[in-house]
Amino acid sequence: MKINKFLLLALLIVPITLVFLTNTNEEVQNEEVNIYTSRHYDADNFLYEQFTKKTGIKVNIISGKGSALIERLKAEGINSPGDVFFTVDAGNLANFQKQGFLQSIQSEIIKQSVPVELRGENDEWVAVAKRARVIFYNPELVSEGEIKDINYEDLASDVWKNGVAIRSSSNMYNQSLVSSLISNLGIDETEKWAKGLVSNFARKPQGNDRSQIMAVANKEASIAIANTYYIGIMLSGKGGKEQLNAAQKVKIAFPNQNNRGAHINVSGGGVLKHSPNRENAEKFLEFLLSEEAQVHIVNNTFEYPVLESVKPHPIIESFGDFKMDKTSIADFGKYNPEAVKLMDRVSWQ
Amino acid sequence: MITSVFLIPILFIISSVFLGFSDNFYHLYENLLLEYSLNSIYLVAGVSLLVTILGVSTAWLVTFFNFYGKRFFQWALILPLAVPPYLLAYVFTEFFDFSGTANNILRDLFTTQSDVIFFPNIRTIIGAIIVFGFTLYPYVYMVSRVAFMNIPASVIEASSLLGKNSISTFFSLSIPLIRPAIIAGVALVAMETLADFGAVQHFAIPTFTTGIFRTWTGLYDLNTALQLSTMLLLVIFIFLSVERASRSKIRYVNSVTTSNSYKPIQLMRFKSAAAFFVCFIPVFIGFFLPVLELINWSSQVDTLVSTKIFLAASNTLYISLSAAVLTCFIALLINFVVRTFGISQLLNDLLSLGYAVPGLILAVGITKMFTSVDAWLINYGTFITGSILGLILAYIIKSYAISNIVLNSALNSIPIALDESAQTLGASKLKLLRDIHIPILKTGLLTAFLLVIAELIKELPATLILRPFNFDTLSVSVYLLASEERMFEAAFPGLVIIFFGLIPIYFLNKLILSNNK
Amino acid sequence: MKEFLKVKNINLSFDSKEILKGLNLIIDEGNFVAITGASGSGKTSLLRVICGLESPSQGEIILDNSLLFSREISVPTEKRNIGLVIQEKVLFPHLSAIQNIEFGISSKKDKQNLSGEIMERLNITQLAEMYPHELSGGESQRVALARSVVMRPKLLMLDEPFTGLDKDLKQKIYPEIKSILRASKITALMVTHDLNEVKALADKCFNLESGQLTEL
Repeated sequence: MKINKFLLLALLIVPITLVFLTNTNEEVQNEEVNIYTSRHYDADNFLYEQFTKKTGIKVNIISGKGSALIERLKAEGINSPGDVFFTVDAGNLANFQKQGFLQSIQSEIIKQSVPVELRGENDEWVAVAKRARVIFYNPELVSEGEIKDINYEDLASDVWKNGVAIRSSSNMYNQSLVSSLISNLGIDETEKWAKGLVSNFARKPQGNDRSQIMAVANKEASIAIANTYYIGIMLSGKGGKEQLNAAQKVKIAFPNQNNRGAHINVSGGGVLKHSPNRENAEKFLEFLLSEEAQVHIVNNTFEYPVLESVKPHPIIESFGDFKMDKTSIADFGKYNPEAVKLMDRVSWQ
Repeated sequence: MITSVFLIPILFIISSVFLGFSDNFYHLYENLLLEYSLNSIYLVAGVSLLVTILGVSTAWLVTFFNFYGKRFFQWALILPLAVPPYLLAYVFTEFFDFSGTANNILRDLFTTQSDVIFFPNIRTIIGAIIVFGFTLYPYVYMVSRVAFMNIPASVIEASSLLGKNSISTFFSLSIPLIRPAIIAGVALVAMETLADFGAVQHFAIPTFTTGIFRTWTGLYDLNTALQLSTMLLLVIFIFLSVERASRSKIRYVNSVTTSNSYKPIQLMRFKSAAAFFVCFIPVFIGFFLPVLELINWSSQVDTLVSTKIFLAASNTLYISLSAAVLTCFIALLINFVVRTFGISQLLNDLLSLGYAVPGLILAVGITKMFTSVDAWLINYGTFITGSILGLILAYIIKSYAISNIVLNSALNSIPIALDESAQTLGASKLKLLRDIHIPILKTGLLTAFLLVIAELIKELPATLILRPFNFDTLSVSVYLLASEERMFEAAFPGLVIIFFGLIPIYFLNKLILSNNK
Repeated sequence: MKEFLKVKNINLSFDSKEILKGLNLIIDEGNFVAITGASGSGKTSLLRVICGLESPSQGEIILDNSLLFSREISVPTEKRNIGLVIQEKVLFPHLSAIQNIEFGISSKKDKQNLSGEIMERLNITQLAEMYPHELSGGESQRVALARSVVMRPKLLMLDEPFTGLDKDLKQKIYPEIKSILRASKITALMVTHDLNEVKALADKCFNLESGQLTEL
């Protein structure tokens, strides 16, 4: 008798599925904007809600890994319902643009409020928030003198033998950092540097940026390379007491302050070439770049704002001003494959 | 028709080979391919060994002996099936980390120094083997248990009459007798290990699978990534075929023999305690440890239940149920056709490959297929891509192997003579399927159905890329929160996944026990 | 002749149903004893008690002057050195005939010698490499017999081993068994309901009724 129930269940489920299908199709009639995003911060959900409240435009989200979303967009091609592509990986964004999947942003508001180095060559994309990839050190192991005026390049030196903690080379932030070095130093120099850096590793690359900071706090390593917002989250207490304690044991150092500046990565978005709701897409980007949204972003994700009129979160601000590297973000995408191969060659796991 | 739906995504992956090999391929070949392969081989070999030891020994103890806690263990041993490997990986790294719970507890107990480490680094191949081993061994446990119970008592008695004690009977008779079941279970585990991405990525172990993703996301070279996937598929296909060939001549115990089952031996004192511990360790590491730690994390979050989680939970249930029903139905149909029309088992091997393809890569293949169907169906818009239907199809392709393994062996235990006699009585093929095979296969169908559900509730990568707008499942919620380092908030949806996983496990266990009578 | 197997005052019950009630049996060395009885009278249970597959609630079993079972001790089946051949097919399905026969032999050297000899005796040398599912009923039983005899058991028990075989085959097998048991000096105990079988093989015959044996 069980089998009959089986069949019944199957018969029930198929029509429900069809109802679901027709439902999703009906929604196409309403004002909406479809966003493909690899940024999946809770803070962003709040922004989507605010946007809908303000404009009446419904925000539809599909989130996932950047490269997978790109593949889905490519496959969907001219039929894609996607309006906005939004990612935390600048290299990916630049590469995607280069393949011609994004269209130029028309909005004058955006062009006026965002500095030119934070936009695509022809405004195909725009940065929404910035993060710096900087050095964290344990003051009990490293003296002020050693860390003062430090450059990324110095991390290859023998001084830091068994001292450096950094995550795996599969991580896009590391790939962007190495790409920016290739852009500035050339492949050969960068490879030499990477070789030196790998020989200074305190441990096999593992964990995320937060775990690198923890390693420095625990004296597993004396210095680490990690993104700024991680320490913000840790210091805010959002990551629990243990992380707060650890974060208080480490200090931050901005590298390359006497030359090109500390490496900056962005998360940003662009309007897709075949966007069916182009106007809504631009409105959405404009909204993200409004003061209101920027304040919300910096206070929740601890990133740096794109608008000059908005200040970073007090915790982040307390680290002080610093010089930011203006290396073209398009280069991150351009050199990313070279960067990965280079790290492979020097056995950076 | 159905077959081609299964094969197109895989053919798409394989077709990458004909597009020529790029510089990237040679770069990988020179620098990394050996390392990737070796690591994957170590990983799969280690996991296979561990699941065999854990699964077979516990199944043997629970089937042939009575000892303290046996009634509890015979179902508790399946529990880890509800824990996705990536969750256990999260828990392990936090738990055994320098500043994790494990080291803290021991530090409090034994020393006042704050920088002593008691546990070695868990983010190693050994660590990954432990994670996969302890979450996946229930597959081997279940098939071994059923197979052990199907060994007629007289066969075991014959062995003791020939002078073999329990342990030597175990090694020289019981294990060889259920070898096909063990291999089927281990094959599932091996395929799942190769396809997993979440856990190995979290451990940062350069395996074949992580290599595939690195090539795709770092070198922006999808084609080379697909070529690597093809190599993986080839290895698995060869493995499946060799395995089938190796047991073609020998017959094993089939479940049709009606014989009373073996009376378990009562173990005393030391032996009973030893049996208890052998069963307790896998259940503890694979289930109670992660659940306790997740509860611990959840307790540090203010608001646990939200409409979002509720929605994600109902989505998860809805979609895995529908997909499971359809998967079993299709597997039944295909197996029936293969049997009655004498089509090669090679077909089933091919269809099962979907299980071993890393979910994200499979998703890419499926996306390509869907979009071309969409382009052909309607000129504008996407109908299947990013729809529930699309996701269900992906689930079916992904989980076919599980239902196939169960149904295939169940069907094989029905003598062909039965079909023939039905046909001489004038039964049509439809009648044969409906009135003879389906009633006999009831248990097999239900087992397959439950296993597929348990599997799909945990599914992550394909869901992530193929789901419709605003459609979250529990595993997606966990992943998104975890990738933001918000482990504590990820803990609760993680617990809900485990809880949902327990439902099919409850029924699975009832099935196994009723089989015993 | 000495008393080889002594079964004294055995009681056995399943779920409060008494099967054997104070049963006694003595077999002399080298003898072939048959037991008959209605189905359900406990013939099979008696054999299972003797080889240790069932535990009686009281009684004693002594084989070749060593105590196998009493209130205090129970030697496990695998150490009793008793062979049992039953009607059901119990060849190990994953092993070939010769592997089945060699299953219980521990030393490698013995394996070939012993199994070769016994197979010649039973005329099954040609079956060596075949698997159980390829064997006919008579062939299976001969392999099963060989598997037990090759262990040189002190006592060989046969539980309706030839039921289902055709008459001609039976007539062929009886003398083979007789000669093999005599040559190896094995004491045997057989359960059967076939009186021809009793005549052909047994030195003595008992009937089992309401839990007790009476000599016929």
